[in-house]
Amino acid sequence: MSSVATTSASLSTKLIVPFLTSVQSVFAMMVKVEAKAGRPFLKTDAAVTHDVSSIIGFSGEIVGNVVVSFPTTVAEKLASAFAGTPLTVKDADFADALGELANMIVGGAKKHLGVSASITCPSVIIGTGHHLARLRDVPCVVIPCATPVGDFAVEVNIKQVECVKP
Amino acid sequence: MTFNSEDIYELADIVWSTVLALPIEPDTSGSVGRRPRSMAACIQITGGWNGAIVLDCPASVARHAAAIMFQTQPAQVSMADIQDAIGELANIVGGHVKSLLPQPCHLSLPTVIEGGDYSTRVPGSRLVSRVGFVCDGDTASISILEKAEARHANV
Repeated sequence: MSSVATTSASLSTKLIVPFLTSVQSVFAMMVKVEAKAGRPFLKTDAAVTHDVSSIIGFSGEIVGNVVVSFPTTVAEKLASAFAGTPLTVKDADFADALGELANMIVGGAKKHLGVSASITCPSVIIGTGHHLARLRDVPCVVIPCATPVGDFAVEVNIKQVECVKP
Repeated sequence: MTFNSEDIYELADIVWSTVLALPIEPDTSGSVGRRPRSMAACIQITGGWNGAIVLDCPASVARHAAAIMFQTQPAQVSMADIQDAIGELANIVGGHVKSLLPQPCHLSLPTVIEGGDYSTRVPGSRLVSRVGFVCDGDTASISILEKAEARHANV
């Protein structure tokens, strides 16, 4: 039998900084677009920041999820830059591109979290005003990001837990 | 891996009757996919089989389910309760589906979505089964998506 307990320092810069650096490096290397991360802030409501959400879940010593949230027009431009071909929200590859982008951002951050955790395959939600359930015992940290083609946000709602094995 | 629609419907019937004590009927309207304000819970499965299970419910059905699970009146349940209820139902459905799959398989925590006009896409997957059922006069559905290269499915 195993038990899980939330650590006292469930939310710290240790959990946020890797996402700041990962988003900038992934955009520079893979999208060829400069992404400038702004000052992170906390949010309490369940509404995502924009209309297109690319979601990756964590399990293991980190639980929760990370949402990369784009306005539709920005998502189309970034997905096109990433895929190297014009993509619109109606294209089959649109969700694949955004899912992979989120996978790279979160995968890159995970390397620097220094914990044993797994990430899920991405899921992509498209639609104005959708809401996502979040962990309620830790705040959601929003990292606003600016690019030459428009703004997007990375919403980090994760916490570190101690997994005690028998 | 193939999923028989009758088996998925039977699974929904078992979960709805044992957890919620609510009867369901097969959907014959063909309205699966058309929805007003609704909630969806997505569970990812990885390991011996890779894919996702998406439970899609009208908001009214989700609220009724939450009221039963939290033993209160539908008007008194909070959005957090509804999210927990729909996530738990998806988790139970996912657990049943997992037992049919090649092992070892692992379930993710559910992602719960609420909105009026949205689509859920699981990149790199294809829809292998979708079963609609009627509960409280509204249509809910269970979709099974299997990971496949260079394909995706809309739910």
